[in-house]
Amino acid sequence: MADLAHDHAGAPSHHQVTGIDNRKLGMWVFLSSEFLFFGALINNYLLFKGRDFGPGALYPVELYDIPFTSISSFVLLMSSLTMVLAHSALARHDQEQARTWLFATSFLGIVFVSGQFFEFAEFLLHGLKLNLNPAASAFYMLTGFHGAHVIIGVLMLLVLAFKSMRTGSLSEAEGMNVELVGLYWHFVDIIWIVIFVLVYLIQ
Amino acid sequence: MAGAAQHHPQPRQYVMIAIVLAVLTAAEVALFYLEVGVEAIGQAMTVPALLILSALKFYLVVAMFMHLRFEKRLLSRFFTVGAILAGSLYLITLTALGAVILF
Repeated sequence: MADLAHDHAGAPSHHQVTGIDNRKLGMWVFLSSEFLFFGALINNYLLFKGRDFGPGALYPVELYDIPFTSISSFVLLMSSLTMVLAHSALARHDQEQARTWLFATSFLGIVFVSGQFFEFAEFLLHGLKLNLNPAASAFYMLTGFHGAHVIIGVLMLLVLAFKSMRTGSLSEAEGMNVELVGLYWHFVDIIWIVIFVLVYLIQ
Repeated sequence: MAGAAQHHPQPRQYVMIAIVLAVLTAAEVALFYLEVGVEAIGQAMTVPALLILSALKFYLVVAMFMHLRFEKRLLSRFFTVGAILAGSLYLITLTALGAVILF
């Protein structure tokens, strides 16, 4: 896919000194900073989840619906597959298939976020408010910020998919954008892989 | 672009990787219920297994879907060193604050 950054003559279309396209390197640096951001939020949750906040205190762990979250996790995992298939289709110049997979990825992202909204609504109905205790705050901060990242990813995917639909095909430069959005999307997926185990399964 | 397509896995391989990821997720959930349902199986057994399974999933997505395995070594070194340093930093912080007991 690195070739998508090259023009028809084969010369690099974007300045690079490391042999890696600068936009791609920039995205990896950005994702590294995001790792630290989510690392801090996960750390914050782990610090508070075992604390005692007095008798009768409500904790997120008491409300987890593991079968529901497992299905959500599966949906997000499969969206990584559709994303990489979009990328692969574009590398084969199959614009129509790439567009289909981009829409499929957006749809799976929307399903995941809807599940998260449903989970939050359920928790709020049970009285787990954002400011109830530090464990609840840490839980909402972590999963909320992750959900916000998924929403941003869905918006970027929809922009690319609709652009492809309107123009009929994505240009070479937009092909690189698909790769960059793909990297972002897989990052969101791996962060959920960690959250699913550390927050939901290890109680 | 054709060259890139040759180096990267083909769609069928991506589907196989996704199946492996789905199986690993199912194994994680099964481990969770085993711990809840079988008294003899405690957290001392399930927690390391869950961490290993999630690390495997993490590796598969980063290496195969994010194509880190096929990128220049500079990028994978940058990622690996950063991940190890950040992970160590958080582990030290959690241990110092008593949220994780290493030994």
